[in-house]
Amino acid sequence: MVKEKVILVTGVANEWGGRLAAELLARSRMRMADATAVSEHDGANPYHVIGVDVEPLEEDIEGLDFIQVDIRNPSLPELLKSENVDTVCHLNFKHSYHRSEQAFDFNVLGTMKVLGACNDAGVKKVVMKSSTSVYGAHPGNPAFLTEKHPLRGSKNYGYTRDLVEIASFCSGYCSQPTEMLLTILRFPNIIGTTVDTPMVRYLSKRPVPVLLGFDPMMQIVHESDVIESLVIAVENERPGIFNVAAEGALPLRRIIGLAGRIPVPIFHPFAYIASDVVSTARLPIDRAAPIEWDYLRYPWVADVTNMRTEMHFEPKYTAEETLREFKRHQKLSRYDDDRSTVTGDEDYLREIIKLRSELKVRELNSREDAQYE
Amino acid sequence: MNNPDHSVNAGTQDQDPEETMDAGSNVEIEFDTDDSIGREGVANVNPDSQEIDPEDIQRLVNELDGLVERLKATSPGYTPPPYSPQRLIRLLESNIDRFSPEFSSRILEILRSSINEDLIDPDTWKGTWYMLNYYLDYQGDKLKRRLSGEYETDEWGLDPEFLDTIRPIFDFLYKKYWRVATTGMENVPEEGRALLVSNHSGQIPWDGTMIGNAVLNEHINARLVRGLYSNKFPSLPFLSSFLVKVGQTLALEENGIRLLEQEELVLVFPEGMKGISKLFKDRYQLARFGRGGFVRMALKTGAPIIPISVVGAEETYITLRHTPAITKLTGLPFPPISLRWPWFGPLGLVPLPTKWYIDIGAPIPVDQYGPEGAQNLILVSQLTNQVRNVIQKMIYERLTIRQSIFFG
Repeated sequence: MVKEKVILVTGVANEWGGRLAAELLARSRMRMADATAVSEHDGANPYHVIGVDVEPLEEDIEGLDFIQVDIRNPSLPELLKSENVDTVCHLNFKHSYHRSEQAFDFNVLGTMKVLGACNDAGVKKVVMKSSTSVYGAHPGNPAFLTEKHPLRGSKNYGYTRDLVEIASFCSGYCSQPTEMLLTILRFPNIIGTTVDTPMVRYLSKRPVPVLLGFDPMMQIVHESDVIESLVIAVENERPGIFNVAAEGALPLRRIIGLAGRIPVPIFHPFAYIASDVVSTARLPIDRAAPIEWDYLRYPWVADVTNMRTEMHFEPKYTAEETLREFKRHQKLSRYDDDRSTVTGDEDYLREIIKLRSELKVRELNSREDAQYE
Repeated sequence: MNNPDHSVNAGTQDQDPEETMDAGSNVEIEFDTDDSIGREGVANVNPDSQEIDPEDIQRLVNELDGLVERLKATSPGYTPPPYSPQRLIRLLESNIDRFSPEFSSRILEILRSSINEDLIDPDTWKGTWYMLNYYLDYQGDKLKRRLSGEYETDEWGLDPEFLDTIRPIFDFLYKKYWRVATTGMENVPEEGRALLVSNHSGQIPWDGTMIGNAVLNEHINARLVRGLYSNKFPSLPFLSSFLVKVGQTLALEENGIRLLEQEELVLVFPEGMKGISKLFKDRYQLARFGRGGFVRMALKTGAPIIPISVVGAEETYITLRHTPAITKLTGLPFPPISLRWPWFGPLGLVPLPTKWYIDIGAPIPVDQYGPEGAQNLILVSQLTNQVRNVIQKMIYERLTIRQSIFFG
């Protein structure tokens, strides 16, 4: 009997948790099929994926074992123990632009509870998603920030502040002697055609606001590379903190240009005053200015040498490719939303038909093998 | 008054029948406006031109005077026709045979050179139109391309297209304004890493741009110099993005090491802001060489240190006094009081056109110490002093040869 590897993914109701769970399940099915075909049961490693989230799932994920529970629940260690969880992938964070006690409680204390529970229950590995914005955008930043660089992320931007808290807490945790492997992946701005991230919202504005006379270098990463790197971290043992980003940092104006948008410069003192007003009045900042101005003024490019040499991960998309794809998608969606989804569905169906026919052939083969045995 | 002279002239040449014809036509043209009178005059002269006695001449002169009188009487408002190039040309055309051959050819030459045949040729205008169209197309495409982000940048933000666009300005400053004389370019390696170390001066640090320009223009491989700039610059608008676009980066050890590991030429000014804010009385006295960060960069990467002395730049601004109080009050960088600032307004910020010398010294190898030498504080401070002394000596050598601040 094949021993299942139990993976618990938190935050499956948000896009990253849900997509990671779906991807892991899909791979599990593929491997199962492969393994049955060649009768190599040892090599196969099917996953039992448990999803956890406070909120209910919007869409069912096939094969997912969903439990609707808050990660701060005190009985979390018992769940981990009883389910014999091998790996925990913690992606359950609340996004808030303003400083919010509620979000802080959920993000920071929630992460502490999850890590503590994993330690108690003897979970072998924990994978977490973070952001390179924890390094902060400062005039004195080196051109490439390594993982060891002090974390000076913005104190005003709620989500970044929480991530800095979590990161400093985790680095304290890493220094303790423990058998649990902790992998933290730090991503820059994520761009994709199916996700809703601050950078996507920023690039969807027309015109796009920039600061007059500033053109910092910026890094991006493609959504599928985010999922891919998380899967690699889950499937392999890669303890440590890694910056994960697409090849090549680009000047901000080039990013905007490649995304098919036109930048509109704002004199920086005015921009800062405006954002101060927005944050004191607690206006809905996500529509007004998606990112802190400092992040559009100073560079915060992360060094991805360790991603290549230690994590052995190579992003599929370069920054330019990501942006060109984004531009194509934006152009299409402007004209006709339905048609593009229809063509997408067509490709998807074709893929499914191909996979299913392959599966059938393999099943037949394995049955014949069994008969001869 | 001209008329009698002319008719006499025509009369004397009448022995030759051909010449007579010509003379006749001449007169005809000259009297263009009053045909009947001209013909009459000619008719009077021609029949008895076989032999001329003074009496005849006298008679003719009298007759002509009478004609002139009549002319004046018939058209009192007569004025000679206004000067026009066509008239002049026609006049010259008709009279050209009278001139000596050399003189006529000279006149033809003058006429030819004064009229540019290309301007009359329609192909010239067609060509100009095509060129203009092509140029506008090219610039339009370029603008479109720049706006849609389709240009190259390296990971440090260097934009080669932008660099090419602004190079003429720095070429002008290099060749015409400061007439920079560079020596020792052979000391800059043809390829591979090297750390250039120079003295720093001028309220606005032009010396970095001129060293970069010198290596870009005069080096065999036209290498790009990666300057490391002060941490005061990244928060200033325009300047920060300009510096990044021309391939410079912030002066940090990790940046310098990464650049050297990529086999680049890195330029540092260890004096830093102390060099820029030097008073005029302290010119060419090197300030403290930082904390030896540049030596650690060289030791860690094994890059040779190439000392550079810039003479002339320290006189571009005559700094008299610093004003920390104003900077503190306004929070903006305020240039120190100089001979011309702030008395002459923005004009006081224009650097003086002194004659510059950039001398590149022999490389100082440091790879024999190995990367662990960077941890040895004694070695680092010794090397720092050594480089400082070499540059100071190079400056003094140049100053002893130099005759004049402005003419070298």
